[in-house]
Amino acid sequence: MSAVTRRARRTLLPYLLLSPMLLFAAGFVYFPFLESAIHAVSIVNARGEITGFAGLSQFQYLFSRREFGIAIRNTLKLTLINVPITLCLTLTLSYLCIRRRTLSPLLEGLFALPMVVAMSSITLIAKVLFNPTVGFINHALHLSLGWFEDRHTAMAGILILTVWMGIGFNFLLFLAAFRDLDAGVLAAAALDGASRGRLLVSIQLPLMLPTIFYVLCTNMIQAMMTNGPILILTQGGPSRATTTLIYMMYTAGYASSNYSMAACISLVTFALTFLFTALLFRRDRKAVVE
Amino acid sequence: MKRMFSLVLTLCLLLSAAPVALSEGNATHIVLWHSMSENAGALLTSYIDTFNATIGAEKGITVEAVFQGTYAESVQKMNSMLSTGTVADLPDVMQLDATGKTAYLTADCAYSVTRAMEEHPEIAETVAEMLPPALNNWNLAGTQLGLPFATSTTLTYYNKTALDSVSAAAPDTLSDIADLAPLFAGDGRIVYAALPNTPTLANWLGQLGSYLVNEKNGNEGNATQLDCLENGALVAFLTQWRALYQSGALSNTAGSTDAFVAGQQLIMTGSSSNIASVLEKVGDSFEVGIAPYPRVSQDASYGASVNGSCLVMFDHADASRKSAAWELVRYLTGKDIQSDFASRTGYLPSHMAASESEAWQALIAAQPAYDVGFAQLKNTPDAMRSVTVGPAADFYYSIQNDISDFLEENMLPEEGAELMADDLEGLLHQYALANP
Amino acid sequence: MKRKALYFLSDLIVLCMGLLVFFPIVYGFLGAFKAPSEFAKQPPALFPESFRNLANFAEVFRLIPLPRLFLNSLIVACFSALVRIACAALAAYAFACFSFRGKHVLFLILLGTMMLPPETLTIGNYRTVARLGLLDTYLGISIVSFVGASQMFMLRQAFLQTDPELQDAAFLDGCGDMSYLLRILLPMNLPILTTLFLQAFVAQWNAYLWPLLVTNTPGMRTVQVGITMLTTVEGTNYETILAGVSLALIPSFLLFFLLRNRMTGSMKNGSLA
Repeated sequence: MSAVTRRARRTLLPYLLLSPMLLFAAGFVYFPFLESAIHAVSIVNARGEITGFAGLSQFQYLFSRREFGIAIRNTLKLTLINVPITLCLTLTLSYLCIRRRTLSPLLEGLFALPMVVAMSSITLIAKVLFNPTVGFINHALHLSLGWFEDRHTAMAGILILTVWMGIGFNFLLFLAAFRDLDAGVLAAAALDGASRGRLLVSIQLPLMLPTIFYVLCTNMIQAMMTNGPILILTQGGPSRATTTLIYMMYTAGYASSNYSMAACISLVTFALTFLFTALLFRRDRKAVVE
Repeated sequence: MKRMFSLVLTLCLLLSAAPVALSEGNATHIVLWHSMSENAGALLTSYIDTFNATIGAEKGITVEAVFQGTYAESVQKMNSMLSTGTVADLPDVMQLDATGKTAYLTADCAYSVTRAMEEHPEIAETVAEMLPPALNNWNLAGTQLGLPFATSTTLTYYNKTALDSVSAAAPDTLSDIADLAPLFAGDGRIVYAALPNTPTLANWLGQLGSYLVNEKNGNEGNATQLDCLENGALVAFLTQWRALYQSGALSNTAGSTDAFVAGQQLIMTGSSSNIASVLEKVGDSFEVGIAPYPRVSQDASYGASVNGSCLVMFDHADASRKSAAWELVRYLTGKDIQSDFASRTGYLPSHMAASESEAWQALIAAQPAYDVGFAQLKNTPDAMRSVTVGPAADFYYSIQNDISDFLEENMLPEEGAELMADDLEGLLHQYALANP
Repeated sequence: MKRKALYFLSDLIVLCMGLLVFFPIVYGFLGAFKAPSEFAKQPPALFPESFRNLANFAEVFRLIPLPRLFLNSLIVACFSALVRIACAALAAYAFACFSFRGKHVLFLILLGTMMLPPETLTIGNYRTVARLGLLDTYLGISIVSFVGASQMFMLRQAFLQTDPELQDAAFLDGCGDMSYLLRILLPMNLPILTTLFLQAFVAQWNAYLWPLLVTNTPGMRTVQVGITMLTTVEGTNYETILAGVSLALIPSFLLFFLLRNRMTGSMKNGSLA
């Protein structure tokens, strides 16, 4: 092989190497996104054919629907309550588990296990566990709550469920990060007479910031996308109490074949997620710089 | 690790190459999508097994019955296949409930009974044997979509033991239910729980002589607006509903069979199809009473429309599959299956001869509960029709949620009606705009 | 002494929390052995009357083709994880070891896919997959998860850390690009490849919404979708549901206990991204 053809091949090769991933990214990420953007400003019939231009009237109609306001509120509620709770809970648990001891494998196993339990499995268990009549929770805690059957408690039930689902991943990450911290620095600080609380606040947590930030971002996006437990347990009810944006998008697009509505909702969800991530990034940069 | 990967990979490739569905020789293979679970599901499966072993074996037909989840899930599947043009994946026969009517009517690949009758006039005889109210329920804009298979109506189930203990009779009207509230106040039991939805609201409006939407509840054309506003029917219903809620007798939740069976809820309105399973689950713990669907008020007529599902066929451009599909539909809606199915579940026999069969007559003689629904069907005004709208699923949930919000936010009946009109007519307009 | 007491106390609290987290799973397994009548009893009991009642498991096998569902899940999870890692590795190699026009833009385009959560794209992707005739096929279930930008990013980092002299030496020995990638670069990074594979595998194994949308027949459903088919309109067959869930959880637990350390490793890598 001559040097020339070899060089020609080497200029082509990287594109060739990239092509499979670019192809899938174009077909299954960017294309549906663009399609949503087009559908959102068009009139689309139940067969998915564009029959006219709608301008912003689809958004206008969406924003005027009662259900949409509720879906936004529910999604924000899920995100703003779930994320901090999961974060604090798993940070505490992992902090308490740092020291290696006889119990360590057991404890780590217990807390990490939710990671491999599929969403649909734990949701079905919760369906029985929280059942107001036959479930164990009401009986054990002497409650008579309707849980998923009552509009006032359904969201609380979903929150408990989603917090549980997030424990495994976060716990493992935080534990690994805590244990990775430089033991020498900690020992030196301890020798200087720093208390454990002081150690945690001024050394361990600041060093953990990148990990915490990473967890914050992934959890936030996950919470914004909550749909599984709602599909299986509540179908957005009772009385829209658990309708989230993604669930609303799913019913609009899939159950009702209202593609432009589904596209509008998907764009709004995307925009909200983007906004949150951007805000987090700005704040985090400040925090790290300080 | 590497070896495991390559092993798994080979396995994957081998298996993905294996054909999923096996077609046997020259037998006609057809697929049935159904939504029957638990007891009714087991029964349907046994009917299919019998069909395959008898008529099927004779005529070279094998039927594969596929459970597609609830009616809503199965209609969603159908809608998405129709909208993406992947009609080859549709079954030959499908159990369809009211929410799928519009989509089926407008589908190119629908093989409606009307079309089948055009091609084979002799089948009109079989069609004429069906029970008229059940049959008419599946007639949309002049097209007979399918034949009724699982026919039911909505009834009142009540805890007779508890009501007897305060010497109360079976509730007849909503205010009868409200009157029970003080008798059971503070004992921790719920008197009644319900969230009205498309069919149940249409029943109550129908009792007041009104349709929910125009075009006779969407049966004669595309509904475009509510038909219960100007005649005051919706406000009249909401007034009664609010009074019921304020009496403390109504819990603003869907309620559940569990709560009823456990004795925690005294009255529930539900499909007649659950009679057998409710009686079985309650067992000896209390006596179950069954009464007609409650009336909105003293001056309303009795009645509730037919619910349930029918069997529709799809055209896969294959004459042998089409005739096999018809064989299956005829078998499942025929006299024998209908009387057996009705007497073991609580569904009403959809076939006229089935309602006169010995099995059914013996059953209602022994257990009059099974006859309440059938009698109600006869008392229901002919004008009362179930609702068909394009955005069926959205409509259903919007009604539930709006009425729930109406109670929760303590609105006046007029405000509630306005809220519902905005919401529901918005849905109809939006649908009509995209699907003229 | 005080320290010991403190340790003991914190151990106790953590252990209680751990058992609390574990409780729903235990509840699920216990419920799987109950007879239907036990669920109708008030007050609800925690333990079944007998552990010898296996009828619920038999009922699960009667209602859904569980072995087939496991096989489907396994095939789909392996297939999608393999393709995902393969695409990511090829792209990572291009970005790590070549310089070419548009490199920066293409890199941003691929990383940009992380900004678009797959859930917001489901409806559009459903239509694409339907039009390609891929509904109810293994390819249809897995095709939307072939793009793994974070995997690509991590592999690129790993490749960049490899000594460039190694490549020169390999090329001098007459080794081509592909054989360098396949024979040297990938085997050198086997640990990270394994953890990335496991991550992708678990994600696909647990997926719900997408497999639910694109499968129509019981024989093509994955375990996670299949077990939800045990719930019915009346929804009162709790014992069957729990038996189905228990069976579905067994392979996940096996995987977890066999490969826990590897998964923990993958977590650490994830935190660096």
